[in-house]
Amino acid sequence: MNENAAVMVVETSHLTKIYQNRQIALNDVSLAIEPGSVLGLLGPNGAGKTTFLRLILGLHRPTAGGAKVFGKPMTPNAAYLRRRIGYIPTNPQFPKGMTPITYLDYMARLFGIPANERKPRLASLIRAVDLLNNSGDDVTTFSLGMTARLAVAASLINEPDLLIWDEPTHGLDIEARRSMLELIKRLAAEKTLILSSHNLSDVDEVCNHAAVLSHGQLIFQGSLQDLKGRIRKNHYEIDLEGDQKSVSKAVQQLRTASDIRQVVLRQRRLELMLSEDVLNSGIMAHVMTVLSEHKLTIVSIRSIGQQTEQAYLDLVEKEESRGFTRLYQPADAA
Amino acid sequence: MDAAIPAPTTSLPPLTFRRLLPYWAVLQTDLRQTLRSWVYRLWVVSSILAAVGYLLYRFGVHREAGMIQSASVLTSDLLRGIVLGSMALIVVLTVSSIASERGTLADSILSRGISRHQYFMAKWHSRTLAVVVTFMMIAGLVLLGSSFLLEEDMTFMGSLMAVLTVSILLAAVVAWGVTLGALAHSTVIGITVMWIALYGVGFLMTLLPTSYPSPDRVLKRLPYMLQGYYDLAAIGELALASFGMMFLAAVVGMIGFSRKDV
Repeated sequence: MNENAAVMVVETSHLTKIYQNRQIALNDVSLAIEPGSVLGLLGPNGAGKTTFLRLILGLHRPTAGGAKVFGKPMTPNAAYLRRRIGYIPTNPQFPKGMTPITYLDYMARLFGIPANERKPRLASLIRAVDLLNNSGDDVTTFSLGMTARLAVAASLINEPDLLIWDEPTHGLDIEARRSMLELIKRLAAEKTLILSSHNLSDVDEVCNHAAVLSHGQLIFQGSLQDLKGRIRKNHYEIDLEGDQKSVSKAVQQLRTASDIRQVVLRQRRLELMLSEDVLNSGIMAHVMTVLSEHKLTIVSIRSIGQQTEQAYLDLVEKEESRGFTRLYQPADAA
Repeated sequence: MDAAIPAPTTSLPPLTFRRLLPYWAVLQTDLRQTLRSWVYRLWVVSSILAAVGYLLYRFGVHREAGMIQSASVLTSDLLRGIVLGSMALIVVLTVSSIASERGTLADSILSRGISRHQYFMAKWHSRTLAVVVTFMMIAGLVLLGSSFLLEEDMTFMGSLMAVLTVSILLAAVVAWGVTLGALAHSTVIGITVMWIALYGVGFLMTLLPTSYPSPDRVLKRLPYMLQGYYDLAAIGELALASFGMMFLAAVVGMIGFSRKDV
């Protein structure tokens, strides 16, 4: 074995989970996560995201296949591997009658961190997550935001190399969500992060890699740029300002251009779908010239195809429509 | 969230890990939570109230009617009553130790640096300590009260042996309770299976030849034990059988729990 080869932080091979022979939660998922990646785990409800995370944490046992974390097989008894992981479940729950101090102390002891090291660490984390004024309060009385902050502190108490956060922005208000995303961005500089989220704009903002699950099947893995770029390339939306007649005339003219497959006008919003193989800068220059000739002002211009949400939706829709044929596709077709 | 989350800036040295610390953490936390639980408090309060009421009644009978009240007979009745009467609560207390935490709470504990084996052992030891030590304390109070209020016919060693024997039986019940709690899908199913197992095994053991120790026979022999007439070899056999059952429960529990999804 080549010792110089980088060890994947997480590597799953044909990972499959079937619950009590009744429900296929995960089907043949092979995925590798490189050190330093910030992976957004996407998928609709029931796609198998949480099952995947629980399998790589050793909380569930795979029905078939396996998961390796830091190059070693993850099992329910692999405590030494979990010492390097910081986990936040979807709805963190806390034992009754604990304060942030006793809870974090408990979590640190669960990692086996001795008192002289865990006490300063938990004190600095309580200050960092701004729970200093509530450090003596019962954690079961905390608001969602405070709970989220405490869960963040708990996931960092062991200075993990890998962070697994299952919907960390779930239920948070706008300000709290923003803070959480900022924190993720800063942590991403030094740690590997797996982020499961329903909120695609969150993933878009903080992740550099994505994996998409649909009905327990991995339908995409790669960089976020790949995900954005693979679907609806050359698809633009332009908001215009100007005379409605001029807008209509410009549209008529653009429809004659051979490299523009489709032009749709909704009020003053122009939707352009260019041919996939065309150099977009050339045709967009032509579009600008036409708009300029009709004295129209561009309010905004954006690429629809470059939005993660659209790419994701297209991917899931495409996958669902493929049905039976997905079994027989060549391995490199995805 | 009410405030921004700054990224924790720590310039602390790299962390070291102690292997047994997670076990101690779960044991201490579970012990603390068990002692605070309503099931435990109900068990202790009801046992003490029943014991005090019974002893005062028997003391009253002796004072008012002059009837001799044998401490060994009445204390063994009382101990038997406490054990059998509180069995329901002991079963709930032991089966719920792991079963009630299944789901998100177990997530936040078992996703840390603790193995399933350590978690199971810590839960088992914590519940054993809570049940056995509490029983010993209640039994100690009962014996003390009996020796003051009733006709003294007990010996110190006999009392010690009687309490130890019942404690060993209780420890075996606790071990199987925790194991069933670890293997069951829910607390209710675990409690139901435990009850069926207790009655079933208890009944089957009464069918064994009299030379074999059974919990029922041990409880019937308590008055003689309290008077100092005990058979060390028989107690040794019973202890050995109970430890064997506990060991088996621990092995089944640890292997079974390690193979379960939480």
